[in-house]
Amino acid sequence: MGILQLLVNGILLGSVYALLGLGMAMIFGIVGLTNLAHGEFVILGAYASTLTASALGIDPVLTLVFTVPFMFLAGVFLQLLLINPAMDRGGEPALLVTFGISIILKDGMLLLLSADARHAASSYGLATFHLAGLDISVLNCVLFLISTASVLFLTLFLNRTYTGRAIRAVSDDQQAAMLSGINVRKVYAVAMGVSMATAAVAGLCVGMKWTFYPSSGGQYLLIAFIVVAIGGMGSIPGTMLAGIGFGLAQVIGGANYGLMISYLCMLAAMALRPARRGRKL
Amino acid sequence: MSRIRASSGNRFLFMPREYSTYIAVAVLAAVLLLPGVTGLIPSNLMRYLLQIFLYIALGQAWNLLSGFAGMTSLGQQLYIGLAGYAVAAATGTMGLSPLAGIAMGTGAGILTALLMSLVLFRTEGMYFSIATWIAAEAMEKAFLNWEYVGQGSGMTVRIVPYPSVRWIYAASLLVCCFSVLAVCFVLHSRLGLGLMAIRDDPSAAAASGINLTRTKLCVYVLAAVICALAGSVFFINKGTIYPESGFSTGWTVSSVFICIIGGTGTVTGPVAGAVLYVLLGEFLAHYPGWSNIMLGLVTLLMIFFAPEGIAGFLRKRTGINLFSGRRYPEVRGERGKEERPRGKR
Repeated sequence: MGILQLLVNGILLGSVYALLGLGMAMIFGIVGLTNLAHGEFVILGAYASTLTASALGIDPVLTLVFTVPFMFLAGVFLQLLLINPAMDRGGEPALLVTFGISIILKDGMLLLLSADARHAASSYGLATFHLAGLDISVLNCVLFLISTASVLFLTLFLNRTYTGRAIRAVSDDQQAAMLSGINVRKVYAVAMGVSMATAAVAGLCVGMKWTFYPSSGGQYLLIAFIVVAIGGMGSIPGTMLAGIGFGLAQVIGGANYGLMISYLCMLAAMALRPARRGRKL
Repeated sequence: MSRIRASSGNRFLFMPREYSTYIAVAVLAAVLLLPGVTGLIPSNLMRYLLQIFLYIALGQAWNLLSGFAGMTSLGQQLYIGLAGYAVAAATGTMGLSPLAGIAMGTGAGILTALLMSLVLFRTEGMYFSIATWIAAEAMEKAFLNWEYVGQGSGMTVRIVPYPSVRWIYAASLLVCCFSVLAVCFVLHSRLGLGLMAIRDDPSAAAASGINLTRTKLCVYVLAAVICALAGSVFFINKGTIYPESGFSTGWTVSSVFICIIGGTGTVTGPVAGAVLYVLLGEFLAHYPGWSNIMLGLVTLLMIFFAPEGIAGFLRKRTGINLFSGRRYPEVRGERGKEERPRGKR
């Protein structure tokens, strides 16, 4: 493969990784919580899309109409009922609550949905087109469009709406936001809802791109972690760049050693570049 | 430790109170070891007990890092898997004895820990946790592709004659005692005090003259040694190792669970947690698929209703604290009197 081909594949793949990190970055940037259940949320989204698509016989992308609101509400209630009370007790209990949720979800899905591999099949799953001498997968392009659209949508939401501005205010300075009359607990709930909604979108991409199992969550949590850690906690452009970097490293590494090389690159990046402490969106 | 002189208020029999922990461990070890090697305990029971011992060791290692040093590692499976592979390679491919295998596994663990510290200690907090996890995953991917260790099909531990249950039982008991004693010893020493200072505020600790890197390195290597010892004995017991089993994140999940239900930041915690974990696991084996759901629910309940874990709960109710990492300061004469100035700092 030529360098240009690698570059295109890496960037298209990386956009999915960026999307994985986006929800994680939201939660870390706003709530200041390390969400260990994010991988399971992604897999939950993947199952929701796959099952809805096959039940209704529609294209998996269209299932977002159902899965995104569902996951948003689930996130809001999760934060209000479980994580907010845990956060009152401190940082560590909140982290451990997400740990508990993660193992419950993983085995819950295993129990209800069996350990079989699943895949959200689409009519264009294997199609490619040629452009300037490059083979480009239609599926990768669709995924790239989905993740770019999500990022744009999220940026507009954070910049243009009242709720979005409240979220950014809390992320900047929680106490000042409280003094200005923002209900921080509600903002946290909305942030968790948005984070789970992006997990639903990321889950759709994962389900269309790869096969997945109930136990795949850990793998995607790790990727989300890496993307967020490299991109700077809570920065959307940084998260995008880190996701694409991760995708490029994997494509260049090849099929067998790709993931390992990605991991090593990210480890080196974390060690060499002292992490930014910024928590701004 | 020698600096702390116990007076009448802080004595256990005729010794400083810190020694009571070591004596408790020694007595318990003797009580458990003798019937084990003489065959008084049925081998089925021995299999459960040795699991408990190994999980105690893993819990102690994780607790030492996370509970006492504030270095939450999500990647201790790196050392468990590495040691398991070292045992398999030493016994199967090189034809060495199991003890040599354990030694090789520990050596590999120490070496890797020293190398890893170069990378890991440049990160802090959550970044440290992620970096440890990435390192373990990278190692799993490397072993999946490495021909010498059988790639995905793994390796078998070949020892002729294969160690009996009693042998493995004794080995895991020793590993367990080593982990408890080592953690207590560290906590009673100057190192342990520095450790907790670092956990609570790294900058203040550094300003008070604590060598951050050296303290963290000692603890990290010790945790790696404990995990390597436990891992090698575990895989001698199991007989086979695959990249997915050796470097499984399941190791982290169980360590975290053991420490939460037992109580983080205490030495008794992981002991109580490991006992409950193995018993609960055994009980839940009758309900396939439900085990992690129940473990998760127990975690949530513990966080909301007993945040200090079993150890904290027991200590509050009964005042019993069997294995203590606590230091007992000198009590002399009037209360609040300054301590005797020390000769050398």
